[in-house]
Amino acid sequence: MEVAGWHLGIPSSEVYGAATSYTELSTSEPASHVIKICTGLGCRANGSLELLERTKQELDSADDGNVAVEEVPCGYMCAVAPVAKWDHEWIGRATIDDLKAIAREATSI
Amino acid sequence: MTSHAQRALDALKASATQRAAAHSDMTRIVVQVGHCSAAVGADQVAKALASQVPDSSYIVTTGCDGACYDAPRVVVTSPDGARSTFSGVKTEHVGRILGSGGLPTQYESADPYVGQHRIVLDGCGEIDPTSLDEYLLAGGYSGLASALAKPQEKVIDEVKASGLRGRGGAYFPAGMKWESARKFPSPDRYLVVNCEEGEPGIFKDRHLMEGMPHRIIEGALIAAYAAGVHSIYIYINAEADLSTERMKQAVDQAARAGIIGEDVLGSGYNVSVTLRRGAGGYVCGEETTLLNTMEGDRREPRLRPPFPTEAGLFGRPTVINNAETLASVPVIMAHGAAAFAETGSEKATGTKVISLSGALERPGVVEVPMGTTLREIVFGLGGGIIGGKAIAGVAVGGPSSGILPDSMLETAIAPGMLHESGVMLGAGGVIALDENVDVLEAVRSLAKYNADESCGKCTPCREGTPRMVDALDRLLSGAGSPGDLDELRGLAEVVGAASLCGLGQAAGGPINSALHFFGDELAALAKG
Repeated sequence: MEVAGWHLGIPSSEVYGAATSYTELSTSEPASHVIKICTGLGCRANGSLELLERTKQELDSADDGNVAVEEVPCGYMCAVAPVAKWDHEWIGRATIDDLKAIAREATSI
Repeated sequence: MTSHAQRALDALKASATQRAAAHSDMTRIVVQVGHCSAAVGADQVAKALASQVPDSSYIVTTGCDGACYDAPRVVVTSPDGARSTFSGVKTEHVGRILGSGGLPTQYESADPYVGQHRIVLDGCGEIDPTSLDEYLLAGGYSGLASALAKPQEKVIDEVKASGLRGRGGAYFPAGMKWESARKFPSPDRYLVVNCEEGEPGIFKDRHLMEGMPHRIIEGALIAAYAAGVHSIYIYINAEADLSTERMKQAVDQAARAGIIGEDVLGSGYNVSVTLRRGAGGYVCGEETTLLNTMEGDRREPRLRPPFPTEAGLFGRPTVINNAETLASVPVIMAHGAAAFAETGSEKATGTKVISLSGALERPGVVEVPMGTTLREIVFGLGGGIIGGKAIAGVAVGGPSSGILPDSMLETAIAPGMLHESGVMLGAGGVIALDENVDVLEAVRSLAKYNADESCGKCTPCREGTPRMVDALDRLLSGAGSPGDLDELRGLAEVVGAASLCGLGQAAGGPINSALHFFGDELAALAKG
């Protein structure tokens, strides 16, 4: 952020302001694998809270903490709810078995 | 007399017809790949089809037709016009679809367009979004040719006469916006196409960008011409990668064909189109925040006035239109304002694209005339609640709006308020909740979303939205008191009255609708 500020000729506090303002930007290093479960209303109506609960139980901090489970407010694909995201890949009509299968493939679990 | 633009378009169409002739005696296999259907395997199906396709057929990857409940879908059309549709296709079905001229009947499905009125979505899921030829042969860019042959004022008059209003949620008359930017003296002006679509429960702009990118571009070009703009920016959500890919392809094709750039279709009009990506956040779709985002600042709204049509992007007059609004424009120019105004209700002309989701048998994207009732949308097009269960409520218009009970389903969709408690159509999200969902928990989730997404610029919104969530939490956990209801009521009013942008002004919406329609339940919780 200091480098960006120097490059743009603005205080790094302003860079910090912009960097922490957007949901797509993060100032901390993410886990190697992130599972995001949508808990928007469309997904809730299709059982996403239960999916979130089970995914947290079975996969959060799995593989020595390399997998993190997060909640997202909407995946914008409400018509194939519930939806989940493994890193950059979305899974529609997701089940805990889908997520476990993908996790097994990608990690040493 | 034929105009320059019309002659240039006719020439483009003639060469497109020649190229299409190469396919005329082949079987057309359409596989519908959108961001949702890809998440349920449509891209895998497309790959499998491509690897096995016989010489007598050709594969076309389109956007989706909106029947998301049946995705992934494949449509096979033989040279004689016979058509078979396959639903819920998996890679292992591909051989059977290709082999038999393809009729494993259990995968055939009904016509999803019944009960719809498709103007904006017409062709979505049918024609190749990455082919300018297919759009031209479907009548594309004839609205632009017609507009370019007219003086700019005439184009604005036509759009005013059509009654077209903004489809992003505010429903401001489109023609008036263009006129206001056009009249404001300035050396240059901008048009920003708002495809941010960061509202939970809405996915129609992505659907349109993936299925019909050229229609949005055509509408944008007409708007830009009418408003005296020579630079268009298309602002696309950070997560919408497939939309961006298809929009970019469409822009490049249009530029190569002389539809974008210097001397558009030989008319003497010059225009450039640039794609920009967002960086996430509900408030970014708010028009002045979007401008700040494009300039690299924090995602915060600006004080109005000055309005963007006076001082917008880089301080210049700027028209900001939603993608769906612009996609309604070509048909107005091609077929006339009167034809457009025939559809819809007295209060509002045209159609609305609805993002339909929740506990429904047939969730998806549908287009209906303004004035259609929520009951027709939820039970007619949406197929009713899964398993015939009871409906608990319908969340309409996202986190800035509210939840309507079953008894309000006869309400007809219209711009502005659907109910005085603050429920509005917004960008057209309809989420049906069944009896398994606690409506008040749903209200809390909307309120929590507003609290998380508040940008923090206006103190009442920054501090007030979390307080609303706290009060709801006390009520839902059984620790509530009658004072919490008063606090909710007061906060909703103050936050609404003292915030700069739409997010804050409408943040009390879910609370107000809950107090109005589910007041008894809340009162019961308040007694503890």
